[in-house]
Amino acid sequence: MSTEFIWQLPTAGDGRYAEATRLRRGERSGQQRPPFTDGVTDPRGNRFNYFDYAHQVARAADISGFDGLRIRHDFEGDDSWIIAGYLARGTRHVRLLTEFEASWGSSVYAAKNAVSFQRAANGRFAWQLVQGGDEASRRQHGDNLPQGEVLARIDEFITVARGVQTSVPFSFKGRYFEVLDGGFRGPLAGNPLPPVYLSGEGAEALALSARQADVHVFDAAPLELIRAGVAALHQAGSNGRQVAAGLRIDVLARETQEEAERDALRYREQTGAGTALPALDADRYWDGYATARSGARGALVGSYEQVIDALAAYAEAGVSSFLLGAEPALEEAYRVGEYVLPALRARLAKAEQQAA
Amino acid sequence: MTIDIFWRIPTHGEPSSHRARTPFRGDWFPGNDNLRKAGLGGGGADGFNYLDYIAEIAHAAEISGFQGGLIPSFPMTDEPWVISSLLARETSTFRFMIPFQPGFLNPVVAARMTASLQRATGGRALYNVITGGGGPSQLWWGDSAGHDDRYTRTTEFLDVVRGVWRGGPFSYQGKFYQVENAGLAHPLSEEEFPEIYFSGSSDAALASASKHADYYLTWLEPFDQLREKFRRVKEKTDLLGRKIKCAVRVDVIARATEEEAWEEVRKGFDNVAPETLRAFLGQDGGDSVGAARQRGNRPTTINSYKDLITEPNVWAGFNLFRGGQTQGIVGSYEQVAERLDDLVQLGADAFILASTPHLEEAYRVGEEVLPLVRGHSNSKLLRAVG
Repeated sequence: MSTEFIWQLPTAGDGRYAEATRLRRGERSGQQRPPFTDGVTDPRGNRFNYFDYAHQVARAADISGFDGLRIRHDFEGDDSWIIAGYLARGTRHVRLLTEFEASWGSSVYAAKNAVSFQRAANGRFAWQLVQGGDEASRRQHGDNLPQGEVLARIDEFITVARGVQTSVPFSFKGRYFEVLDGGFRGPLAGNPLPPVYLSGEGAEALALSARQADVHVFDAAPLELIRAGVAALHQAGSNGRQVAAGLRIDVLARETQEEAERDALRYREQTGAGTALPALDADRYWDGYATARSGARGALVGSYEQVIDALAAYAEAGVSSFLLGAEPALEEAYRVGEYVLPALRARLAKAEQQAA
Repeated sequence: MTIDIFWRIPTHGEPSSHRARTPFRGDWFPGNDNLRKAGLGGGGADGFNYLDYIAEIAHAAEISGFQGGLIPSFPMTDEPWVISSLLARETSTFRFMIPFQPGFLNPVVAARMTASLQRATGGRALYNVITGGGGPSQLWWGDSAGHDDRYTRTTEFLDVVRGVWRGGPFSYQGKFYQVENAGLAHPLSEEEFPEIYFSGSSDAALASASKHADYYLTWLEPFDQLREKFRRVKEKTDLLGRKIKCAVRVDVIARATEEEAWEEVRKGFDNVAPETLRAFLGQDGGDSVGAARQRGNRPTTINSYKDLITEPNVWAGFNLFRGGQTQGIVGSYEQVAERLDDLVQLGADAFILASTPHLEEAYRVGEEVLPLVRGHSNSKLLRAVG
């Protein structure tokens, strides 16, 4: 099974170091960098906004050889489906992995929109259905479902969406969704289903992924915890259904370890998160090195060689889908695409050949 | 006040002319035996897909001076939210009129999507709120709410979208929707609220439209009926202290001479299959009041296309060519413009026009008809150029 590398697009802002917490590149609104002084002409006016920057990040991932772009679900930012659509015709290869919640609306309507997307974007749409926040947070977004039912609703959402896309007639009466004599016909039928990425910890989440997911995405963690997670995922499976293990982890990779640590410290200082460097193991995993816009639990901080080694180790532990992120997303896509992916892919291909 | 004129995007594919079902553009026609195999014929073997043709129609419409286009959504179409976001970056003035049923989206999600689409397009998104035709079609979508319930839901939906739009915090306890301390985040909360075109003929629809709509949208009906309909709508909304405008969605066949225009109709009518004609005379389905009004306007026997001419330059057989409304305007460029001005005089403030094929006809109608429409201006009567 070949390994995929997906790059993260933050949706509420991005910038260099700590500016990522308050800047929306491309925009003049809100807190921002000071504009040019009176001494220098600035032609921009209000011509651009974050969408223009997102277009560049998507192209960066495409050109640099990533397999996909993950569009983050962030209530502070722009809607992930709209961004995914906006980016579709500006990209050629990358899968557009769109993160959203099952409180979105009708599952049939979501499936119909997904089919239109697949038809228009040569099958490059993918879904990441997430559980969302706590009950109070979800009530702020029109979602009143009790916390304990969130996974069950995701389950039904996928069942109905897949059902209408693959069978005619399709009928279903569940707790959250229903359809009578539905099902897509003609050109709506026979389209590639958007691959489904799910996440979450605990037995119920793993069991759901085993039944419904194409990829189960683990949050960043030290190598041995991920290895154990992959084993648990495979144990949760039944009927031999293949579910790939994914990992959402940030990467701060530089030519040398010293440079990487210097930039990590600079970020921490600028955001007031601290001035000390923790002692990192050889695997270079920094738990809790989180950037406000990334949503990852931790990051790999080290030289290109070290980051390649660490990612290869996760791959050897069973991860075949990497959702990587860094700030700023544009420049780091080129950097990771040039200095990490080619050598890493060669390493994994060699390992696969030797295993065969 | 000037008249807004929109075009339409055929999200279900279309034939190359009114005269016949083939050749067909797009892969929506079941059993499409298009010999070209190129993207225009559907199938995508050459790397082009139907959206590539839709993009060309959007460009044609904006170059030709239309406000933008209605992007219909039905079980057998591509979808307007997707089309709008995919075409955002490559259009400049095209306004995306998105029909959708409020019951299908979480209203807070819809508000975010709309605000993001406004940001992605520079404020070019607007709604056509539709509330479903009921019957099996509604259950196909997974929606079991009855007719009046659907309009209550529509009203609540728009209450919530408006409530969260400027950032809130907004709370709401309705029959269908409940939110607590909701609101769009900055800078999404800075965007202009979309104009709302509202469809629906029943009393429940009018009640809902009165509260939220900017434009009440109707199909073409006999002119006297429309005059009465517009009067009723404006009177009802005036009572609520809101000035609502009216819009007409209508197909047109416009040519340099009236003879040429009717020639298109005659040729198309002659090519209609007998079973299609029979079905036309006995159609049924759903609880839509609008569809019932359309059926009421039809004759009982038809020997030639002329039997379906119901008033000057109005032909009532359009749904023999394609699904949808029956009546459309047929005539010379001047006559079509005059009929549109007649509709303005009896209360229309905006139009959504269409013709087949939608690309070439966007140029034709935009170049030849639109300059002849006076609206509320005092321009002298103009003559066609081409």
